[in-house]
Amino acid sequence: MQKYKGYFLLLIITILLIIMIITSDKQLNEYSHNLFYMDTYINVKVYSNNKIKAKKVLNEVEKIYEKYHQLTDRYHAYDNIKNIYYINNNTDNIETITIEKELYDIIKYGIDFYEKSNGLLNINIGNVIDVWKKYRESKNGVPTYEELKSSGSINVSDIVLLDNNQILNNHPNIDLGAIAKGYVTQIVGNYLKEQGFNKFLIYAGGNVLVGDHYKNDVYKIGIENPTKSGDIYKIVKSNNMAVVTSGGYERFYEYEGNIYHHIIDPNTLMPPNYMKSVTVITNDSALGDALSTTLFLMSIEEGKEYIKQFNNVEAIWYTNDNTIIKSDGFDKYE
Amino acid sequence: MELKKFTRLTMLLSLSVVLNIFESFIPLFNGFIPGLKLGLANSIVLMVLYLFSFKDAIYISILRVFMVGILRIGLFSVTFCFSLGGAILSVISMALAKKYTKLSIIGVSIVGSIMHSIGQILVAIIILKTYNIIYYLPWLLIFSIPTGIFIGVISKELVKYFEKRLKLL
Amino acid sequence: MNKSDFKLIGIIVIVFLIIMLGFRLFEKKGEKVARVYYQNEMVLEIDLSDKSYREYNVNGYNGNVLIISENGKVRVKEEISPLHLCSKQGWIDSSYETIVCLPNKIIIKIETSQDLDAIVR
Repeated sequence: MQKYKGYFLLLIITILLIIMIITSDKQLNEYSHNLFYMDTYINVKVYSNNKIKAKKVLNEVEKIYEKYHQLTDRYHAYDNIKNIYYINNNTDNIETITIEKELYDIIKYGIDFYEKSNGLLNINIGNVIDVWKKYRESKNGVPTYEELKSSGSINVSDIVLLDNNQILNNHPNIDLGAIAKGYVTQIVGNYLKEQGFNKFLIYAGGNVLVGDHYKNDVYKIGIENPTKSGDIYKIVKSNNMAVVTSGGYERFYEYEGNIYHHIIDPNTLMPPNYMKSVTVITNDSALGDALSTTLFLMSIEEGKEYIKQFNNVEAIWYTNDNTIIKSDGFDKYE
Repeated sequence: MELKKFTRLTMLLSLSVVLNIFESFIPLFNGFIPGLKLGLANSIVLMVLYLFSFKDAIYISILRVFMVGILRIGLFSVTFCFSLGGAILSVISMALAKKYTKLSIIGVSIVGSIMHSIGQILVAIIILKTYNIIYYLPWLLIFSIPTGIFIGVISKELVKYFEKRLKLL
Repeated sequence: MNKSDFKLIGIIVIVFLIIMLGFRLFEKKGEKVARVYYQNEMVLEIDLSDKSYREYNVNGYNGNVLIISENGKVRVKEEISPLHLCSKQGWIDSSYETIVCLPNKIIIKIETSQDLDAIVR
């Protein structure tokens, strides 16, 4: 027996090491899903050991994005779905339209934010957006104030939500572009948490929403320089945060040396020119998206004051002179 | 006597060169993992180590690298430096293993195979100034067991065969 | 084969397992990029999170080296060298793998990009 002691020891060490190798692989696996909805490339990553559940959840995530994409689409109709296009273009002689709860809620979110943004975030600005879109696509000229003004009403009070998910058939021209991406991203984030996936990263263009980090202490999110693609001008670090940028590389066009953004000031009916981009960091992607648009529509000084009323909201501005201005509590993300 | 030994060693040297070149035609041992080789030529080196002396084994080993260098890979090319590093480390460690351990010729062959890999990697790290190639090391280690045993068994038979005959001549 | 031989083999196996365990534990995970170095200077960076098929031409010591990437993996497709070792090596995709093209003095390493998790634009 004594003779085999050495071999026995070797065998045990070998088995232990093999077990360690196998268990060390229990590092979380990354499951990634690429989507293209709302005119944006969307990437959702979850970290888990449960492959079947992760795949199932990611499929469910795709359904959520697809559904909201269809509901908020103002250019296309879909079978059996009463979406924004349906509401905006309804010529039926009916008093009210019953819509799905999801759409009702997101419209309500937009209307509520109209007050909070002092009238800057206007979801009934579709008429003006359409005029600008026409010019942006032809890249030829700039609309006059009169043309924009005569394109139709932009009063948010035209959108009248009633009880039981009904909306008054009042022919508004709703455009949810300013809030939809952030709103649905937050819905997806909530869904992932409900399903037990606390470790996730959602990338949706100007919107990033993260849960807990899969390996390190915190996520590190780079904010891109709006004047130079690929150049990171700031890195923010935290878990469970939403980082949302307005400006930057979003849709715009250039005419006679001026840049015309797709974000429109409801007061001037023109794209604002206060800054090159603004990034909001908060814990709610819907709020982040709405606030980043709002901040893009006011001067940096006003914006710094404005966000003080919100808890847990910080912002960083990239000015027209290529300098960087941070909100007072921004340090905690650095 | 000296001439006889010299002739034998020369023949063995040419044999090891041929084996080395022959080996590069076996597809499995041709680029599967960089540096992974069957090491047929090593059986000759082992045989010389057991039948002649450590000094002779070193000569054979180094001369073989130079000859293959002249014939195929080019003198002082990067691959040549790898081979030289591997060969020197391999033959020295085999001599030490033979002298100071109870390993049989098979064990000595495994040591030679491992040290050949390590020698190559060390030279590669020095020349290429990258540490990433060290990631091949575990695979070279584990594959050196079967190749080492294979070469060891061949060498054992060779030594057994020539041991008597060399004395007769 | 004697007892010492078996002990030697046992020790090699254990060392192998320990090294593999080490590599496993320290493998970097995250957004992967392949960096191509020519004589230790980075000449190309390939984003491996882009899964589409792409081709790159890099100047090696002997001439053109064709590198392709697809599905988060990268490989050398064509190169001018006597043995074509690095095109035979095939795909690599994990951060401890490397393609070394000696005759062309080209090294392809997989690394994590900038350490950032995402970029907002």
